[in-house]
Amino acid sequence: MNHFDAIVVGGGVNGLIAGTLLGRRGKNVCIVEKSDSFGGMASYSVDGGPTLAHSFYNLSPRALSDIGLDLQHPVLAGKPTSTVSLAEDGRHIVFSDEGVCWSDGTAHPDSKAWSDLTQQLITYGGLLRQLAEAPPPGGHKAVLSRGGMAEVLRLAKLGIGLKKLGKSDMRRFLQVVLSNVYDIVLDDLSDGPVAGMLAADAIWGAAAGPRSPGTVFNLIYRMGHGGTITQPAGGMSALTDLMVEAALKTGCVLMPGTEVSRVLVDKDAVSGVITTDGQTLNAPLVLSNLAPKPTSRMTGPSVFDIETMRRIRNIRARGTTAKVNLKLKDNMPLPGLPEGLANSRLIYAPSAEYVEAAFNPAKYRQKSKAPVIEAFKMQTADGSGWLSTIMQYAPSDLEGGWTEAAKDQLAQITVDTLGRALPGLKDHIAGRQVITPDQIESATGAPGGHWHHAEMSLDQLLTLRPANGMCRYSMGPKGLYLCGAGTHPGGDVMGLAGRNAALAALEEQP
Amino acid sequence: MSIFTDPKLGLIPAAFHKKLEEQNRAKSCYDWAGYAAPGVLDSVEFEYFALRNQSSVFDISPMHKYRLTGPDTTAMLNRLVTREVRKIAAGRVGYAIWCDEEGMVIDDGTLFHLGDNDWRLCCQEPMLTWLLDAAWGFDVAVRDETHSVAGLSLQGPTSYAVLEAAGLDVSALKTFDLVQIEPDLMISRTGFTGDLGYELWCDWDKAEDLWDRIWKGGLHQGLRAIGYEAVNIARIEAGFLTAGVDFQPVHATERLHRGQTPFELGLSRLVDFEKGHFNGRRALLSKRDAPRSLLMRFDVEGFKPSEGSLIYNQRKKVVGHITSGIWSPTAKRNIALAHVRMPDARRSSSLMAEIYTLQEGKWDTRMARLTPVTKAFFAPPRARVTPPART
Repeated sequence: MNHFDAIVVGGGVNGLIAGTLLGRRGKNVCIVEKSDSFGGMASYSVDGGPTLAHSFYNLSPRALSDIGLDLQHPVLAGKPTSTVSLAEDGRHIVFSDEGVCWSDGTAHPDSKAWSDLTQQLITYGGLLRQLAEAPPPGGHKAVLSRGGMAEVLRLAKLGIGLKKLGKSDMRRFLQVVLSNVYDIVLDDLSDGPVAGMLAADAIWGAAAGPRSPGTVFNLIYRMGHGGTITQPAGGMSALTDLMVEAALKTGCVLMPGTEVSRVLVDKDAVSGVITTDGQTLNAPLVLSNLAPKPTSRMTGPSVFDIETMRRIRNIRARGTTAKVNLKLKDNMPLPGLPEGLANSRLIYAPSAEYVEAAFNPAKYRQKSKAPVIEAFKMQTADGSGWLSTIMQYAPSDLEGGWTEAAKDQLAQITVDTLGRALPGLKDHIAGRQVITPDQIESATGAPGGHWHHAEMSLDQLLTLRPANGMCRYSMGPKGLYLCGAGTHPGGDVMGLAGRNAALAALEEQP
Repeated sequence: MSIFTDPKLGLIPAAFHKKLEEQNRAKSCYDWAGYAAPGVLDSVEFEYFALRNQSSVFDISPMHKYRLTGPDTTAMLNRLVTREVRKIAAGRVGYAIWCDEEGMVIDDGTLFHLGDNDWRLCCQEPMLTWLLDAAWGFDVAVRDETHSVAGLSLQGPTSYAVLEAAGLDVSALKTFDLVQIEPDLMISRTGFTGDLGYELWCDWDKAEDLWDRIWKGGLHQGLRAIGYEAVNIARIEAGFLTAGVDFQPVHATERLHRGQTPFELGLSRLVDFEKGHFNGRRALLSKRDAPRSLLMRFDVEGFKPSEGSLIYNQRKKVVGHITSGIWSPTAKRNIALAHVRMPDARRSSSLMAEIYTLQEGKWDTRMARLTPVTKAFFAPPRARVTPPART
């Protein structure tokens, strides 16, 4: 039984969603995954430690319902988490739906400004979400065709949505959307931890600092689904397990531990794949959850136009984010952190200026000595306690390479930085795990270990994502589709790239 | 002609410059890809008739020459050009065109299959960056040989006799054959004149020795050094296209839609949709049956050269223009290459060219009837006979 209607290469979140959606539309689907477990970057972990992603904030309800997942499922419901900006003086700052306050409960003077700005960004995010839930505009469809009309209507809806904002808000939106987060945030706030928090949220996973153009877009993007940060019950692997379950329920054949070595092309149409263990799987549709460049490697460059290959290899994807997991000796509260905040999202970003300064070394292939950090205290399946941290910036192309010594230094920097706000943290640590971007790349195939497979910068968004001429998910020969984070609208455990790609494939091969 | 000429450097001498200088009475050079190339050395009539009735040498060293080697060269070239390169055997030369992703012609040129996975591409436009792009992902080395390989075009009915007199036996060479006849000399039976002729290739620093040898061989064969003006007349008679004149190399265009597909240039025989993917194939599949214009050959009424004339249809609407137009001294016809927009190109029996004339200080126009021609204007059988005649 080696004949399928569609093969999905790569069983990450987008691959699972694409495969399941196709399965639900009557296709006989096979999802091939290189590693032994599904979920890709969302649930990759080393030796049972915390997963790469440790929360979600952008998971698309539309993608979930399209694969038949109940949005009320206890795993998805999880628990929304407040954010705590760690302060050296112990007066940590808490961000929640109610606004900003200090850890002792007194209101922060920037609370209103922060709430207003956040609310504004969430409104804008809602507008942009309409764009995310469809292939990018400007395809080659005739306006009078059904698809063309749908596109016009969608754009009209966006236009009306913009109009509805009112004149001053619309003007503001158009003013800020392409701007840098540093300027926009400091328009309304004085620089400090509150501004720092917004600056940090604009740069996670990006090779950009708050002063880089387009970072406001990143922040709006992050808030596209309301900005609520959720830790799924049972961790991210519970979430991806749920997706695997949905895939199995629709009859998808899952092939973990199988690596595709080649995508077969015959007469300018895909005909299947060959795996490294010598199997040939046939299908007229192949959806690749990999980035464009590794995808092109599986077909060889000869099936693409020269310009296409040039664009593919010029896609910028430089991972700057490392995962540092600190194993805790016990499940005791973290030093210097009030009990009530123990399970919050902790960030270390004392000011927007600090975040920008943290980015500087990364431009020159150095790691930050004073990094921006996001941390969650969590328990893994075996009951051990961890501090799961995302460490920014740790460039994939570190000068001298990611040697053991460099990784040790990175862990030490992380502990020292957090230790400034959580004095005595180092005494609680029993072990350290460092997962560098190059390691993420070799484990998941994401170029440069980049969260989004391709930098979410203005020149690589919408119709230019992943690159000019490829925005409608199909690439090169008939039946070859990209469905990974490198495509519109990007990654972030959102699932829309996979969903949109599957719908695009169905449109051409119903 | 080249967009990469360094203005500070100015024109530089080509391989045979010193030898040409000795004969250059007109002192008329033009810029060919940054080299000073003679337009005419003495008078164009002498040179043209030497080409058609005796033999001629023309320095083609300024042509861009790229060497492509490595195990994937055939695959890489097959993705680059529109024809099936596997049909060009080793020891053969093939005319080829290559397109961008939209199916618009980037340039045309000749592919020399020198040996196993060893090719040379000769073309008019600078192509190094494009070839490097095209070679990405293939095990192919691209080397620019423009300034290391000299080329001398020996054309005309006595060219075989000239080579014979120079001690070079090319009797077995058929058209589009090439042979490494001596360690330092390759000869191909190719040319841009439609006549019997050869192109001689050697190292740049051996060029002058080669010149002397050929010149000596041509002493009793009426051999003459010529410039581009004479070559241009011959190539129009043969119906050959010049980049930038008869078609616009799409990488050198700035305005939209100035590029042309092979089908619009009458080169569909060079497009092989069955060979697998090549650059622009997907776009060309949809453009194959919808040419926007056609490159046509015309007999022009009267004797006034028609170059640059606008073409009108019956309803006095402009539907095209003449790209190259001359009085052909050999065919004794007024001939032209032209672009004609569709659909008038398909009902071309009533097309007229508006030719501007200047007669003793008086400008005038005359309308000349255009008669479509499908074959070359001049294609002498002597060009293809093997072994060739000596005169």
